[in-house]
Amino acid sequence: MTENSYSYEELFTKKIVKAGRWTLLGAIPLCFIPAIYLWVKYGAIPSVQVILKGWFMIASIYGVEYFMTPLSYFPILGVSGTYMAFLSGNIANMKVPCAVVTQDVLDTKPGSHEAELVGTLGMVGSTIMNMIILTIAAIAGNKLISYFPPSIIKSFDYVLPAIFGALFSLFAVKYPKYGMFAIIVSGFIVLVLGMLPTWLIVPMCSFSSIGFAIFSSKKEMQKQQ
Amino acid sequence: MKEYLDIANDPILWMTALPVISVVGIQAYIFSKYAFQATKATSLTKEQCFKAIKTGAVSSIGPALSVFVVMLGMMAVIGAPITWMRLSMIGAAPTELTASTIGAKAMEIEFGSAQYDATAFASSVWTMALNGCGWLLFCGLFTHKMSNLQDKIAGGNADMMGKICGAAVLGTSSYLVISNSKSGMDKFIAALVAAVVMIFLTKLSNKMPKLKEYNLGISMVAGMFVAVLVSN
Repeated sequence: MTENSYSYEELFTKKIVKAGRWTLLGAIPLCFIPAIYLWVKYGAIPSVQVILKGWFMIASIYGVEYFMTPLSYFPILGVSGTYMAFLSGNIANMKVPCAVVTQDVLDTKPGSHEAELVGTLGMVGSTIMNMIILTIAAIAGNKLISYFPPSIIKSFDYVLPAIFGALFSLFAVKYPKYGMFAIIVSGFIVLVLGMLPTWLIVPMCSFSSIGFAIFSSKKEMQKQQ
Repeated sequence: MKEYLDIANDPILWMTALPVISVVGIQAYIFSKYAFQATKATSLTKEQCFKAIKTGAVSSIGPALSVFVVMLGMMAVIGAPITWMRLSMIGAAPTELTASTIGAKAMEIEFGSAQYDATAFASSVWTMALNGCGWLLFCGLFTHKMSNLQDKIAGGNADMMGKICGAAVLGTSSYLVISNSKSGMDKFIAALVAAVVMIFLTKLSNKMPKLKEYNLGISMVAGMFVAVLVSN
């Protein structure tokens, strides 16, 4: 390790881990303020059994995702990106595209410190924008919707496939071989194996592509030697 | 209007949602401050940092708007303040909808039905909060450990790290393309057109670098536009 990266560690990573920890863990009790208010003000609270039952049911759907999603996206998001994305949400549809597009626009070398900082700042911009739009929509959404023509509303359905298509080809241009592998494997997993749960499919698609990348670049290195 | 909706839209409920949303804002502020400070150890300039924030903001307009219709649907059942809070933090719209449905189900009540009352609403609020905490807890405790794991796999090699990141983007985005477009030809066309336009723009922006920050937006709108035309 060079002296430069040591100071980066001191300047950024250590501070981010500290701030990331207290913001995420600190947010946990704050999530329950509305539920407690409903209880205190209106006496609206289900029995403890119902709360536990609901918790059990929802954890049986998403429980595995609590650790599989962070692990699947960590190679893209890194330390600071993971802290941000898993507090502010909208990971696949907003945070990941914003981080990688920002890194691409600023021409940073993938995996470098520069890429991490730029990705973090891209996600900051994205979090702020999301908050502004959500706040406007929460306050005035019902009035605003009447101003949109139906074709615009209809076009919102296509935002996600369009974003993921663009994101895919942005990277497929850089790594055509990995892109080929990823689309074939994901196609097979989704269309042929079909019924597998999401918590299994996402890491399968992500990790198989990573495995292929490591395998094929090691093979290339051996050839060069 | 159902009675519980007065409770669900209680003005003070907005205030109770504010603390956790503030944490999201405070975190964004702190992280950007640290990122600006850390540029000292890198080759980045302040201008590039501001450009990064701007690019992230512009790129998220599309995804933020895409939640709009679902959001109005959520607001009609669980009120505006809770919708605002839940969509500002971990758990995207489909996750929150599932959790609030499960909350009602735990009481043997159908979400949004005539039996859905203040207590069922409270049950939805509890379930959404408990669900979101799963990610907060895991990432709060273990994110720095994941970094050690990745260093071991990549062997501290930045070039390998970049390839791993690229492969992860390709793996997840190809899954997301396929799962989002298998529900209809129109969705597949949106993905395909956006992908082709992106390839074209990537080549073009080698000559016109200024264009680059709008590449994602332009390809997205192109895909949406063609898909709307085709579906009509």
